[in-house]
Amino acid sequence: MTLRSEQHGKSMPRWMLADEDYVPATDKDSFVNRSILGLMEVLSLVRSQSSRAADRFSASAPVKVLGTLLLVVLTAMTRSEIFLITVITYLLLQLSVMRAGEISSVLKLSFGAAAFTAILLLPAVFLIEGYSPVRICAKLFATVMAVNLLSRTTRWDHIAGALKYVRIPDLFIFVLDSTIKYILLLGEFSLEQLQALKLRSVGKNRSKYTALSGVAGTLFLRSVEMAEEMHSAMECRGFTGEYRVIQTVRFGTADILHLTIHIGLLVFFIFLSRG
Amino acid sequence: MIELKDISYSYEGEMALRDINLTIDRGEAIVLLGANGSGKSTLLKLLNGIISPDKGTYQWNGQEITAKMLQKPAFAKQFHQKIGFVFQNSDTQLFCATVYDEIAFGPRQMGMDEPQVKERVEDCLALLGLGGFEERQPYHLSGGEKRKIAIACVLALNPEVLVLDEPMNGLDPRTVRFLSELLVRLNDAGKTLITSTHRLELVREISSRAVLFQENHSIAADRHTSEILGDIELLKQTNLVDEYYHAP
Amino acid sequence: MHIPDHYLSPSTCAVMGAAMIPVWTVSVRKVKEELSKIKLPQLGIGASFSFLMMMFNVPLPGGTTGHAVGGTLLAILLGPYAACISVTVALMLQALLFGDGGILAFGANCFNMAFVLPFLGHLMYRFVKERVKTPRGEYAAVILGSYFGLVVASLCAAVEFGIQPLLFTDASGQPLYCPYPLSVSIPAMVIPHMLVAGVVEVLFTVFIFTFLKKTAPGAFYQSGKKTKAIYGLLAGLICLTPLGLLATGTAWGEWGTAEIQDVVTGGTSLGFIPEGMANGFSFEALMPDYSVTGLPEVFGYVLSALLGVAILIIVFKLISGVVKAPRQHQI
Repeated sequence: MTLRSEQHGKSMPRWMLADEDYVPATDKDSFVNRSILGLMEVLSLVRSQSSRAADRFSASAPVKVLGTLLLVVLTAMTRSEIFLITVITYLLLQLSVMRAGEISSVLKLSFGAAAFTAILLLPAVFLIEGYSPVRICAKLFATVMAVNLLSRTTRWDHIAGALKYVRIPDLFIFVLDSTIKYILLLGEFSLEQLQALKLRSVGKNRSKYTALSGVAGTLFLRSVEMAEEMHSAMECRGFTGEYRVIQTVRFGTADILHLTIHIGLLVFFIFLSRG
Repeated sequence: MIELKDISYSYEGEMALRDINLTIDRGEAIVLLGANGSGKSTLLKLLNGIISPDKGTYQWNGQEITAKMLQKPAFAKQFHQKIGFVFQNSDTQLFCATVYDEIAFGPRQMGMDEPQVKERVEDCLALLGLGGFEERQPYHLSGGEKRKIAIACVLALNPEVLVLDEPMNGLDPRTVRFLSELLVRLNDAGKTLITSTHRLELVREISSRAVLFQENHSIAADRHTSEILGDIELLKQTNLVDEYYHAP
Repeated sequence: MHIPDHYLSPSTCAVMGAAMIPVWTVSVRKVKEELSKIKLPQLGIGASFSFLMMMFNVPLPGGTTGHAVGGTLLAILLGPYAACISVTVALMLQALLFGDGGILAFGANCFNMAFVLPFLGHLMYRFVKERVKTPRGEYAAVILGSYFGLVVASLCAAVEFGIQPLLFTDASGQPLYCPYPLSVSIPAMVIPHMLVAGVVEVLFTVFIFTFLKKTAPGAFYQSGKKTKAIYGLLAGLICLTPLGLLATGTAWGEWGTAEIQDVVTGGTSLGFIPEGMANGFSFEALMPDYSVTGLPEVFGYVLSALLGVAILIIVFKLISGVVKAPRQHQI
């Protein structure tokens, strides 16, 4: 049932009164879809970490961060296969208590990194006699898994705060923290813009770069605006330019366990390198 | 023309649409009513193929629209030409350097030559009362002007169905009146109109049928607009008006 | 251009990190001078913009896509010091939170993408722009700056890779980290960057630059003093080195292979895959001979038991996750 408009005789353009008989030409513009997918993954990662509650059984963030860093360094330095396998076993045990969805995404990333490296290093196998890339692949597998385990079980503002213990200045931590928030806000903005672009990309886009630069350029303008707004909001709340990171850290049994395991790994590493 | 059967959708564990059954015929002018968060925007995104339902089917002219089908570029492009979407946030809809380029984007993609493109751009600008805006920069326009440009961009594609997500939000009264009249004229010209809003003032003018969402993300009622606006109990139940509301 | 972990030795990583400390310190100081202390949160905006830019898929011919870094663009918009900090933070987030890898290689990646790229790019841009004061001149400046910024950054990465097998080998001469010597790494990295990635970076930078010039000409960073000619000369020389190195690349190659010729063949070493198995990765070979490492056999059994349990649990969880109805994809 259509409405009757009370108005005037201004007529609509002729082309609007008829249906389009439109058959689109093909065009390769996967860049929009891929950008959309990539952005959605990132945003969902950012969103999921904000609702993480500190688990009773989980170690505190600084311990976890330092533990992960230690693990990464030892993995990089080790020349012992058995140390690598021990580390990987430890990481897989940690992984096994997570949910199926998380497990598969962490494994995808870890295997992906290892596989990518294997391909990159494949020519070396033919160039150098006796060379095997397995060790580097295994190390990458372990490192990517360790970092992902950390980032998926800890709130990111806690991770950022924990960096204080690695002597990173408060200012950087503050910037890191705000960057995470902005990625969410600006990312959602860009995502919707890419969706709008996709909906209007009904044919052959002869100026893909112009469209993409429009999205990126508008993102920049939006971010400048947001910076101004945030700056005004902070000033209105009495901000005077001091950045201080305050962390309340509770030390519990989980921490002791965590520390023990990592010290144990360190000792094991030292033992193996002397042997 | 559009048929939604038993549609359900949830996002990150939260229910957004529950058992939606809806049929929309060609040439209708309907409005989706409901409080914030009741699912209107989600349904509009689904209609435009931005998201796919977890359960249920979406039929367009007898053909089922699935995520798989929308992954085929040829199909998706044709689909997006036929149904145009005006986003709630006009900022995200505008990404070109000039108003002319912005409106010309769709027609150019459709392979029209420049004289045809120019005709469309000029016609759309005239329709929206923005003649002379060709060289302006979309990013620096006022909220009302941005909204009008966004609508113009979508009209330039000449879609059969026009979907608008809260088009009157944040606009001054004169602009609201202007847009309402325009929507009526578009509907008269044959466009199917699907608008979502939670403001009741102009609903009677831009629609003959209203679909009311309730807070549990399902449809509470689907009737003639004046009937729904007259059912004050229902409006209170679905949080569209507060307990002190009286019909005007 | 991102260097993953374990391609560079920990000592290389430490050196590159140490090299960045003065760069970071100066950048922070300069940014504090130019923005009042209160405006420093804006760096978070720059960082998130840098992060998101690196995420966009840029169309390439044939329907494929690539990524740009946007370091020179950031330097033109925000100034090189703010660009340095923005890219640094974006890289930190990528490495730590999004699990992309590159934790130990963080110093090296920052050196290439947060130091060389924005500073050299910006220097070239200013140099050309100040001497060719036409609109065309400005575009040429943007093109040259972004192109050479990226190419030289890729050269730095190539050098960081290429020196690994020269400096870090094990007892049997096998490279411990990146196995490709300079004769391989330099052409392998620089040529694709000169032919493809550099072009992508230029297109990305120029188009966005054009858009912003039209829509927000006041948003650009205004640098103070005019660049001195000597810096331009230096920058030009730096930019020509990739070409020079490519031409003389073969000379570097001999140095690398000489060591490789000394590799002992036919011997077994601690747990490494024996010769002759280079073309196949045997899983059993991963498990070292326990007695060689001097550990009791019990340890090996416990380890494999734990490993087995973990794998079983993971497989079980994955299977039960797959059995549930799969969600349809979103666009």
